[in-house]
Amino acid sequence: MNLFTQAIFSGLMTGAVYALLGVGLVLVYRTARVLNLAHGEAFAMSGIFMALLLAWSVPFYLAIVIAVGASVLLAMGLHRFILRPRGNWPPGTLILITLGAAFVARGVMILLVGTDPVSFPAIFDGDPIRFAGGAITLQGIVLVVFGFSAAAAIGIFLTRTQTGKQMLATAENPYAAELVGVDVERSRLIAYGIGGLYSALAGILLIPLIAVDFQSGLSMTMRGFIAAAISGMSPTGVLLSGFGLGLFESMIGAYLGALVQDPVMFAILILVALWQSRNVRFGGGVRA
Amino acid sequence: MTLRALAVAAACIITVVLPYLDILPGWTPALATVSAFMALSLIGLNLVFGVTGMLAFGQAAFVALPGYLAGVVQGFGAPFLLAIALGLAGSVLVARLMAAIFVRLPGIYFAIGTLGFAFVIEGVARALPTITGGASGLVLEAPFALTRNAWYAVAAAALALGIWSFAWLARGRFLRTMKLVRHDELAARVVGIDVVRLKTHVFTIASAYSGIGGILMAYHVGVVAPENGGVNASLEALAMVVIGGGGAVFGPVLGTALVQWLFAISSEADRYELLIYGLGFLLVVLYLPGGLVDGLRKIWNIVAPLPQASVTAPILTGQLPKLLPVAAVPTADGPGSVCLGVKKVAKHFGGLHAVDEVSFDVRFGQIVALIGPNGAGKSTLFNLISGIERPTAGRILLRDRDMAGVSIHQRGADIGRSFQVPRLVPNLTVIENIMSRLDHLPNFMNERDKEATARAQLAAFNLSQLADLLLNQIGIGQHKLIELARASIGSPALLLLDEPAVGFTALEVDRLVELLQMLRSQGRAILIVEHNVDFVARIADEIIVMEGGRVIGHDKPAAIMSNAAVQRAYLGALI
Repeated sequence: MNLFTQAIFSGLMTGAVYALLGVGLVLVYRTARVLNLAHGEAFAMSGIFMALLLAWSVPFYLAIVIAVGASVLLAMGLHRFILRPRGNWPPGTLILITLGAAFVARGVMILLVGTDPVSFPAIFDGDPIRFAGGAITLQGIVLVVFGFSAAAAIGIFLTRTQTGKQMLATAENPYAAELVGVDVERSRLIAYGIGGLYSALAGILLIPLIAVDFQSGLSMTMRGFIAAAISGMSPTGVLLSGFGLGLFESMIGAYLGALVQDPVMFAILILVALWQSRNVRFGGGVRA
Repeated sequence: MTLRALAVAAACIITVVLPYLDILPGWTPALATVSAFMALSLIGLNLVFGVTGMLAFGQAAFVALPGYLAGVVQGFGAPFLLAIALGLAGSVLVARLMAAIFVRLPGIYFAIGTLGFAFVIEGVARALPTITGGASGLVLEAPFALTRNAWYAVAAAALALGIWSFAWLARGRFLRTMKLVRHDELAARVVGIDVVRLKTHVFTIASAYSGIGGILMAYHVGVVAPENGGVNASLEALAMVVIGGGGAVFGPVLGTALVQWLFAISSEADRYELLIYGLGFLLVVLYLPGGLVDGLRKIWNIVAPLPQASVTAPILTGQLPKLLPVAAVPTADGPGSVCLGVKKVAKHFGGLHAVDEVSFDVRFGQIVALIGPNGAGKSTLFNLISGIERPTAGRILLRDRDMAGVSIHQRGADIGRSFQVPRLVPNLTVIENIMSRLDHLPNFMNERDKEATARAQLAAFNLSQLADLLLNQIGIGQHKLIELARASIGSPALLLLDEPAVGFTALEVDRLVELLQMLRSQGRAILIVEHNVDFVARIADEIIVMEGGRVIGHDKPAAIMSNAAVQRAYLGALI
């Protein structure tokens, strides 16, 4: 077994998840101008729902549909029923509301399955495929391919479709977009929907390979944010930064131990912050 | 007021002896002790989050960190008091470093950064069992043993001291500054506040409160565990502050006591604990943003209503009193010498030349007006002069001093600025809005002098009857004038007024003309952006016409009005 190859494989898998999470976070941040701290909860929720539904002997594929659907609806509901009616509230308060939503989601997950990690079987079985001294499961390959193509598809969606272009316009200037007839609220709702969908699918694909507990959501939100921040909140650039972050984290985990991953992530965040500070106009902070 | 003070005093005494009265089931001295230490640590979060509005989402890290540091230092054989001092100092230092990194950036970085730090503290504490005791926590030993009652006395005294110092801190100048920064950072900078430095200080001071509460609690319990510094603990801390009332002196105390008591009396709450915290937090944020303290205040106002302030507001009519004889601009700059020099200034946004090779002077005792169609570069030029934008090329001189590298807040004393849409603080009174500029001028004034100066300024602007009303009780029509009063107080050398006459009636414009003439006669240099050409022609000594980022005319009003090129470019569109 080759440690390096194995680290690459697991890095590609987590990288795919970070790219999927990052894309949704960026879409929501750019169109609705809210950093959704409950973003990663769709990831955790989908896994918790899956485990719960399977325990109730719901058929496997139906369970996937319900788990993903519920996560997407929760993400869209957060926007439609809680954030959108308060669109004129200060951004800080809106972030606080998303944190409150994440907080409630954590409480609900404890109530549903307790504090211990849960998991469920993979969609794609089969023996791990051995390659260059490493092993990767079929599910892992599907995750990497799906993560890459789904995150890349966003770029095409935004530039080639009517809905995508409307979302870009909303991100650029919501008032101007509204004036030329773009349904800004629809764009935002779609952004939340895509965010929820990608997070939930990432959860369905990754969680069988690891596990999930009530704490996973915020940790995933943070990693998605770091990937997004490295790319400068770019919906296409986050594909690369997500995979890069996943690979780096996996290397650190392989060579230095899994327990230093949080501090290393934090160190990356500090580096990103210092790098971004360069762009802040002198005097710092807000723009006119 | 005395009734209120009496009620507060009585409430304090009852609160202190409550655990011994056996009235409230479950509220024992032990629980009260723990709650008091917790509330003390939450004062820090209240300062940074409740008062200042910074999104400190990982504050528990600074509650647990000093305990860990002290324990580790003690393990190396350091004496008890030294260990505590080192633990606190180390934690405060870390907070200071964090602030230096994250405060400069938009709030989302600070939110994620603080949250991430809580992950780090909890993760490291678990990862290094030989140093930190791992998951079971680090045992802390004090060289003395206190009885239960002694611990309660310590806790009550420490909390009282904490509340008192917080109340002493969060008032007057500091509170005005915080409300201004929280509501509008840009306006705060223009008034002269170094927002980054201020937020760094606040976060550092807050970490000291968190640390003192945390370390007392750690030695009281005898152990500090990884989850004390983690994300859940941070979220619960936020919930207690929000539920009690963010920003209010007694908010964290009330929130902590209520939540801790509820969990103590309800059995089998463990499973529901996080959900209850979460729901309480979310519901309060959504429906009672001021928390329980605000709810109680509303009830109190029904019980003992304040006399309703009457809002009469026919301003700018009748005789205008004299402006106060403000100590005018320093004598070295006599009237006629150059105050503001704009030398070949350019500002490019990518390929767009918003301002292109613009040069002009504004002298003391002179009103210069900038006119031109929308997009001519007037606002960009204002932003360049006030330091919000940095010029691509050229120099800006203020009293012969090059402004390159002088940040917005450092220009605050010399430049008084008003905005197109006034940027005042709605939850401050008019007088406090005016005083908030005096707070940040270089020469020190005590609170009484500031208030007297601000009142005199309001009298001069014929706004006295509005002085003690909250800004959000006053119609938007008066905001323009209040902002002018704020901009011109404290004798700034240069006034930058962005469309001062917009929305005024003809009569009001007449009064504004008188006001500006008086300000000019005091020797101020005044630069105005304005679309009302009649007003400009009446008041300005010189008019500068801009189009497409360039100056296309600069002359006396009469000459500008008859200039063919200017008429074609700008006035032609209007007349």
